[in-house]
Amino acid sequence: MNAWDELVERCALRRREKIGPLSDDAYAELVLAVREDPASFVDDPAEAALLVLAQALDAYRASCRNDDLLDDDAFEAARRRRLSVLRAESERADQLAAGSLDARLLALLAQDLDPDPLLGGLVELEQEFDAGETPEGDAWADVFYRPRLRLRAAVARTCLEGARFRMAASAAASLVDAMPGDQLGARHTFALALARLEDEAGFDALDALFDRRGDAWSHLARVILLFKLDRMSAARRALRGYDELCEGGAYALLRPTYVEPYLPDRPDAAAGSFEESVLAVREAEPIIADVPDFIGWCQGFDWLVASAERFARGRDLDW
Amino acid sequence: MAHDPKREDYQRLSLRFAQGLDDAEPGAAMRAFASFSQRFAQDRDSLPQSDADRAFHLVALATDVVDYQLPFASDEQAPGLIQRGKDLLDEALSLDPACYDALRMRSSSEAPSVEARYRFLVEREDEVRAHCEASRDEAAASMEGERAALATSIAMRPYWRWLASLAEEALICGRNRVAAETAERLLASDPADSCDVRFTLAYALAKLEDEPGLARLAERYGAISPQRPANDAWMLLARTALAHKRCDLLAARDLLEELLSAYPNGAQALVRQVELPDGEFARLRVSPYSEDELILAVSEGIVLLQEGNDRSGRGVLGSWVAGTVASLRPDAAAEALGGRGNEGEQRT
Repeated sequence: MNAWDELVERCALRRREKIGPLSDDAYAELVLAVREDPASFVDDPAEAALLVLAQALDAYRASCRNDDLLDDDAFEAARRRRLSVLRAESERADQLAAGSLDARLLALLAQDLDPDPLLGGLVELEQEFDAGETPEGDAWADVFYRPRLRLRAAVARTCLEGARFRMAASAAASLVDAMPGDQLGARHTFALALARLEDEAGFDALDALFDRRGDAWSHLARVILLFKLDRMSAARRALRGYDELCEGGAYALLRPTYVEPYLPDRPDAAAGSFEESVLAVREAEPIIADVPDFIGWCQGFDWLVASAERFARGRDLDW
Repeated sequence: MAHDPKREDYQRLSLRFAQGLDDAEPGAAMRAFASFSQRFAQDRDSLPQSDADRAFHLVALATDVVDYQLPFASDEQAPGLIQRGKDLLDEALSLDPACYDALRMRSSSEAPSVEARYRFLVEREDEVRAHCEASRDEAAASMEGERAALATSIAMRPYWRWLASLAEEALICGRNRVAAETAERLLASDPADSCDVRFTLAYALAKLEDEPGLARLAERYGAISPQRPANDAWMLLARTALAHKRCDLLAARDLLEELLSAYPNGAQALVRQVELPDGEFARLRVSPYSEDELILAVSEGIVLLQEGNDRSGRGVLGSWVAGTVASLRPDAAAEALGGRGNEGEQRT
């Protein structure tokens, strides 16, 4: 979530509403002015809350940077501390706005709950902040509607974590329908759920919908899907593709690392980057666990292991 | 209605014995047959039998050792029993290289991974089917009536057990569609489901979250197993899993209640959720609706219970089932938890 960008857009829109119609150029000027100093344009409690969240998220992300230097106990303590700070700030923001969905979502996610209680909390939020019908056209275009979309994406991911794969798929499908640009990457959750459900037709339709562009999630999901369907030569070719197209994909798969909970959504990662591979492997974890010999099968390919090792040496990572 | 190798051993020899009496005068045949049971028990070698019959007898002995003695053996006894089981199966195979029960059972301990075992079962399936169908056709051509019915069934059973093992192994490997397809192949070949593969099918459909498929399976119970309604632990756990997956916790709780009324002593098994090794010959023989049956269903149901990233390590459904049963039957649950420290096989 880029809270600052959304804050700027929301402040500019509110200002334009107040001062009346503006030409495109004039509106662009206004946006630039807001970007210079968003805080001075905040004149609604909803944006005041968003400002608190933007600052809290900056602080949270900054505090993650020194983790590498900590031992396990110190890391766990630091982690708990920053999550509780984020939660407290989110609750403050919620009070400021007398109800802010983004603030409530962050406060809930910062509790780092197990999938079942988390899903319970998310569903309660969906009921409480029910916005009726999804807007016509591209729902992402309405910046004031985005919190609802983020909530739905969190529902989809939490369903996947909690082994509710059909619900994960249907929540993800509703997002893919509502926002053709899929700025929240619901197609990734969708692809993993379809792989777990061994739904090849659904997986292929999703791939086609996004012009078969492919990404770490879909490449990995395809390997798992074909493995589950016992089409082993095709699975091997798909693994090759995953290895070739996803930077550090082999390493991410064979040496999975801890990934912080998404607050409130998936962090940005460049297409095809190692960071993307790491996120994809982390999200695929519940479905990889369901194919107990999958990793062993992957490790049986010398080229994959060699690729992982090469990547580790190039980046000076443990191997 | 799980497979009983001792009974099958008896059936094989009695069938062969009866065939040998066909040319005898009826009174003599009657007298001879009256002595069969005693000879079977005390002087088995004096009865007519083929190498395949002798091999199957060794399979029956091996089953007793690995499926019924080994799980209760001490750590000191276990290696001896494992070796004895292996020796019996090797001997069976040296007598009859087409003793597919022995081959299948041996693959369980020899395969280095579940994937390798699965692969082995897949790769030999056609061969096993061809062999069993040829034996069946031969029996059908040479016998009539009830005798032919029994002989053809006996001929097919190794193939049925092969498919039942394959379906279960596929489920363990996370190949749920293969598991369901294999189970359907077995039901087509053995519509009375002597292997109870519909239980495995119920789990595969739950894993695929195929609600309509599971509902259709429940409707088919009347034709498959007229004596047993669709309220076995597998079906009820599969339905519980689906209700839980669609977040219908009230329905899931009702289904657990139904499970506990079908299995009145089942609370502890549902709280403990112990994973046991599968029977190698076939699913272990236990009484319908006994606590033991529920223990087997829960053990096979680990694939459903332990899914999801739940920090308890029991899985999302596993935690929920244990917690809900504990609230429905607090006493039994407390007892189950009290004994947990001593459970060698307990997976937490």
